[in-house]
Amino acid sequence: MTCGEFEHVLPEYLEGSHSPEQQAHLKSCAACSDLLADLNCISSQAALLRGTDEPSPRVWNSIEAQLRREGLIHDPVIARPSWHEIFQRWRGAWLIPAAAALIIAGAKLYHPVHIGDREAVVRPPVSTPAKPEAKVSAVDAAIMSTVAARPPAQRASYQVDLDHANAYIRDLEQSVRNDPSDVYSQQLLINAYEQKQMLYDLAVDRGMGEQ
Amino acid sequence: MSAGKCAAGAVAVVVLAGVAFGAGPVRKELHYKVGKHSMISLNNQYGAIRVKAGVPHQIAVTALLHSDKVEVDESRSGNRINLVSHVLPGSDQASASVDYEMTVPPDASLTVHSGDGLIHVENIHGDLMMEGNNAPIEVVGCGDGHIHIRTLDGKVSLTNVHNGHIEVGSMGGDVVLSGVDGPFVKVNSNSGKIQYDGDFADSGIYDFSSYTGNIEALAPPTASIDVLARSNNGLVQSDFSLEPKHTPFAAKVGSAFAGTLGKAASSVNLFSFSGKIHLKKRQN
Repeated sequence: MTCGEFEHVLPEYLEGSHSPEQQAHLKSCAACSDLLADLNCISSQAALLRGTDEPSPRVWNSIEAQLRREGLIHDPVIARPSWHEIFQRWRGAWLIPAAAALIIAGAKLYHPVHIGDREAVVRPPVSTPAKPEAKVSAVDAAIMSTVAARPPAQRASYQVDLDHANAYIRDLEQSVRNDPSDVYSQQLLINAYEQKQMLYDLAVDRGMGEQ
Repeated sequence: MSAGKCAAGAVAVVVLAGVAFGAGPVRKELHYKVGKHSMISLNNQYGAIRVKAGVPHQIAVTALLHSDKVEVDESRSGNRINLVSHVLPGSDQASASVDYEMTVPPDASLTVHSGDGLIHVENIHGDLMMEGNNAPIEVVGCGDGHIHIRTLDGKVSLTNVHNGHIEVGSMGGDVVLSGVDGPFVKVNSNSGKIQYDGDFADSGIYDFSSYTGNIEALAPPTASIDVLARSNNGLVQSDFSLEPKHTPFAAKVGSAFAGTLGKAASSVNLFSFSGKIHLKKRQN
């Protein structure tokens, strides 16, 4: 069996149909066994993401792009989206953090004031991000799991940037709590969420670093 | 030395040289003939990417592969060209590196992903989308389209970019805009500095915001702008004497200001949580 023949039957193989000939080829061909390992990795990552948090359509687009690069799926009939449509879709993704920020802002407006919130909070100028929260959110865990296979320096860089994004969000949430009518703080809060969305997007983009 | 030993030595040299050259860089040339408004997508983890405008309908790519641990996968669908640096198992950053030099039609659109290598794009007037982790991103002489840039910690510089719809997102990378204008220019930074040196032209909207990064904007005395600037915890300064205007927030000296200059054609919003903001007057 050649590599080309194996790739041709790969979709069936992934669905569980294994023949002795295919097994023998896998044992003798490092390229095909690596390919299979990659695909299983994609599958497990996707399952992990679905289990923790519903990601943006970009996640699925990245997986689809990887499968296309591997030649596993083709779309000869369906027209591809135009450049303009791609941009529209990409722009739409930014609405997610915006919506999240608006929900948070709304919640702050309608929820009764908690003990301690009445006190004016005087914050010193922030030069370093606040300490990371003790409990890591599901989204943060998902972000870090997607970059787990990358070089240590890159992983460390993601962690630092994630801490900065979270610090930005925390500080602006506090500002919005202090003055719910401050539309400029609300806008900055939306920008903070956009940064976290960007981190997520760059983390799940397989082309950005996974080998 | 005998003739036999000489011959054996020569053979050994040739064999060793062959091994050495075989493991060294490999140059790959690709050429495509395309129609108007072609689209090129390039995904490269390690190595520099340099793209310049060439002649219409022609795309020329020179890829310098640093080892046989990386391949260039290419695919084409009509006017759309996809290039991917395919990193093979057992590689490291040096051996997985590919340097690209491309000339593309001036009206081409580009989507470029890079990990750490430089992205340099020059004189392209289609839509540009560039993403990088730590990759420095340089855009020179482009415009007339969408320019979307997202980086974690790479420095971003845009020089002489006109009439663009520009959005830059950065975590720690500094963003430097020089001679940049357009109907919409937005920079959203976390700790990276934002520096603008231009005319705030085109009756555009210029939104610069940061968390802790400083924002410095340099404008001419003749600028026509409507400015709002505020830092929740940082110092805010202006070299201009602005016409006061009503703002929804208290314009406290040192922490916020608002006002207009000239006919207030462009809207300029400078916001930071704790970074310093300085609107400077350019001395001609």
